[in-house]
Amino acid sequence: MSKVECELKINGLSKKINIYNDKPLVYAIRNDFGLTGTKLGCGLEQCGSCAVIIDGEKKLSCNLLAIECEKKEIITVEGLKIDSELNHVQEAFRNFNAAQCGYCTSGIIISITALFDKNKKPSSQEIQNALDGHLCRCGSHSVVLNAIESLKEN
Amino acid sequence: MKQFNSGPSINTYNKLIHWFDFSNHGILKVYSGKVDIGQHISSTLALITSNITEIKYDQIEIIKLSTDISPDEGITASSLSVANSGSAIKAASIALKINFLNYALENLEIKNEDILFENGVIKDKNSNKTISYWDFAKTDKFKDLIIPEIFDENYLKKINYQNNQKIELKTINEIVTGKYKYVHDINFPNMLHARIVRPPSYHCKLIKINEDFKKRLFENEITLFVKGSFVAILSLDEFLVVKFLEIARNNIFWEENHQLSNDNVFNSLEKHEKETLLVKSGGEAFYEEIPKKKSFDDPKIKSLSKIFKKSYLMHGPIGPSASCAIYDDNEFTIFSHSQSIFALKYSISKYFEIDPDFVTLKFMPGSGCYGHNGADDVAFEASVIAKSYPGRHILLKWTRADEHSWEPYGSASLNKVFGAINDYGEIVYWSNEAYSDTYLSRPSDIELNNFTSYKFLTNNFAKTKSKPKTSAHMGIHRNLDPIYKFKETRLVKNLVHDLPLRTSALRTLGAFANVTASESFLNDLAQIKNIDPFVIRINHLDDERAIDVLKNLKKKMEFFKSKEDSFRGIAFSRYKNSAAYCAVGVELNVTEDLQIKLNHAWITVDAGEIAYEDGIKAQVEGGFIQAASWTLYEEVIFDSKEIISKDWDSYKIIGFDNIPVFTTSVIDQKGSPYLGVGEAVAGPTGAAISNALCKALGQRIKILPFTKENITKELLN
Repeated sequence: MSKVECELKINGLSKKINIYNDKPLVYAIRNDFGLTGTKLGCGLEQCGSCAVIIDGEKKLSCNLLAIECEKKEIITVEGLKIDSELNHVQEAFRNFNAAQCGYCTSGIIISITALFDKNKKPSSQEIQNALDGHLCRCGSHSVVLNAIESLKEN
Repeated sequence: MKQFNSGPSINTYNKLIHWFDFSNHGILKVYSGKVDIGQHISSTLALITSNITEIKYDQIEIIKLSTDISPDEGITASSLSVANSGSAIKAASIALKINFLNYALENLEIKNEDILFENGVIKDKNSNKTISYWDFAKTDKFKDLIIPEIFDENYLKKINYQNNQKIELKTINEIVTGKYKYVHDINFPNMLHARIVRPPSYHCKLIKINEDFKKRLFENEITLFVKGSFVAILSLDEFLVVKFLEIARNNIFWEENHQLSNDNVFNSLEKHEKETLLVKSGGEAFYEEIPKKKSFDDPKIKSLSKIFKKSYLMHGPIGPSASCAIYDDNEFTIFSHSQSIFALKYSISKYFEIDPDFVTLKFMPGSGCYGHNGADDVAFEASVIAKSYPGRHILLKWTRADEHSWEPYGSASLNKVFGAINDYGEIVYWSNEAYSDTYLSRPSDIELNNFTSYKFLTNNFAKTKSKPKTSAHMGIHRNLDPIYKFKETRLVKNLVHDLPLRTSALRTLGAFANVTASESFLNDLAQIKNIDPFVIRINHLDDERAIDVLKNLKKKMEFFKSKEDSFRGIAFSRYKNSAAYCAVGVELNVTEDLQIKLNHAWITVDAGEIAYEDGIKAQVEGGFIQAASWTLYEEVIFDSKEIISKDWDSYKIIGFDNIPVFTTSVIDQKGSPYLGVGEAVAGPTGAAISNALCKALGQRIKILPFTKENITKELLN
């Protein structure tokens, strides 16, 4: 088993890493870039906690090969701040205290950011579609939905 | 407020220095024996401290539990975090404030009316002289001060605190920016990542490891750890361990000692050997003869009998369990997200036969915890590995399949309920027989075999029988004793042995099954006499707070018109008959395809004095959502070889597409004890959904979860 060189650009910073060619992106983000805000929940694309934004689209990083993400813009939850300020989704989640254990929260924030970046006035169905595949076990759903609803109003 | 009881923690930790650290000027550090497992207890404790001491919330820091510095307040469980630690910290805060005020008045030689009090500093309006809590903390008076066990009225008169409620959770900023650190995120230099190579099921002995595989591990600088039948692989590179874990499964061979029984578990619950105890009013269980169930010939009395069934449920945290351990200089330091940090310390020291003083457990957050999950197991396993590699940090993570297959589940259960109602609508007889496996198999220094890996380490696969717990509302018989004033009750607890799956504490223990069954059956009895569900409950209650909660719920529900083709149900309980009162209303639709859609949920809760209202709301709405998920979807599937529910496709839970609108009301009882709220809502949720579904279908569905398959089966019966 040999490693290959791979250049990834995460949150605006490019870095060359030596990795196995079957390494999923989530391990590169967490272990090679030290960005642990992206969580590994299942490794099966079933829970949504590993979501990141790649070239403007929400993607699950647990089964996506890191080498396939070269030359792409990858954004993790740590890279959402704009000019050192929370982005509007993060701010809404903070204002509503929209988290319990928080393990699923970064994935949800990523999904909703990707949605609102494309569509400032998404319909309820579009919000539901964005949340499809995001699991929360503590039951933070109601507060999370209230936080998202506030984004529509603003 | 007539008097305030400081609670059990103050009996052991009765000095201010046990709870407060003023060593950093301008910051108050607070110690607690309870941990943040998703309920944001730290924020609530900081708020309680702030409201009483008038030190700003932002100046207060709750120290993460560490066994070398924190008070041992037992397990963070059973809805006792605010009731115990909150009460203790409130008591410490009252004692601190009163003594600080006295100290300030003496030292500044001023009158009460000349005081300006801000951010923990008292200023003399006239002289501008100041004195602060941080000055007071340097005195012997502070160091020696004993916190009273009970504060009487005279004492409390001096404290006039406001319950300021709007706060930003202590951790929220870090959570939304990805900076909040979980055990999973630990990274020490030279740290080894570990995974366990699991056998197919509980009773497998290691037979062989392929030599070629060992060679491949060696070539890739992966360490193989074997002790008995416990096998783990370790590497500096986390992904390499994950990669080889898959390869390991085909290169390691096991002998199955005996298979899982895949007989219908509900038959097993009835037929297997069991211990039967009588539960008396008050909720304690006794080894006494069980009275025969009555029968009624009087035509003015109608009786009814039903059997309610609940499948095995899992905790299923979104992040699998993890722990980091190091053994260095003959001492252990272990990072864990367990809710039983102190018990874990003593268990691990017992296993290694070393002095507990040489084992330090440090709490670090994990994914949400809803009882005894895999957290204790993984911390024990990490310490076992770490012992063999002194000076190296070992970060062990369970996989998703580990978590789904190896955690201790909430037991499958069965309730046989029988009741009789007279012509006046009085319930004259109530019998409830609960059948279940244990809800309490937490590991401890005397029960090391409750660690799932203990039997693999020792190669001792002999089955042990759990013993029934007898104290009030403990385990299977939690909330079996109804809060209602029925004329005669017969309550029976059956601890059933030799059931197939590993079980232990899952949020509410037996209360979810018992309340769901009882509150469904109560509606069925009321239906015989055409009595309104609110009326039957209120007529059998004599506790005004319980009645107020129900009345509040009724009012809130009446405010909203029912949606077309929707059906409503309600239910009520007081958790353990001693914690929070909670009434739940549900409105739902049933699709042609027998899918249940939740429209609206009403929750009214009385948890005593409100410590933090938004925190209570988050707990009850979260508890509702989790219990709705249990009720509608959840069931652990297994066959004779293994657990089938290994991922989220094979174990469905609720998603964002079935979250109702919430109307949540919290009744404040200022001056009353904190009652604890984390579990109060689960039982009433299951029953309120069941009662609404019963209206929708015109028939009671008695088996959980309410999947299309179970509903169809019941309708055909």
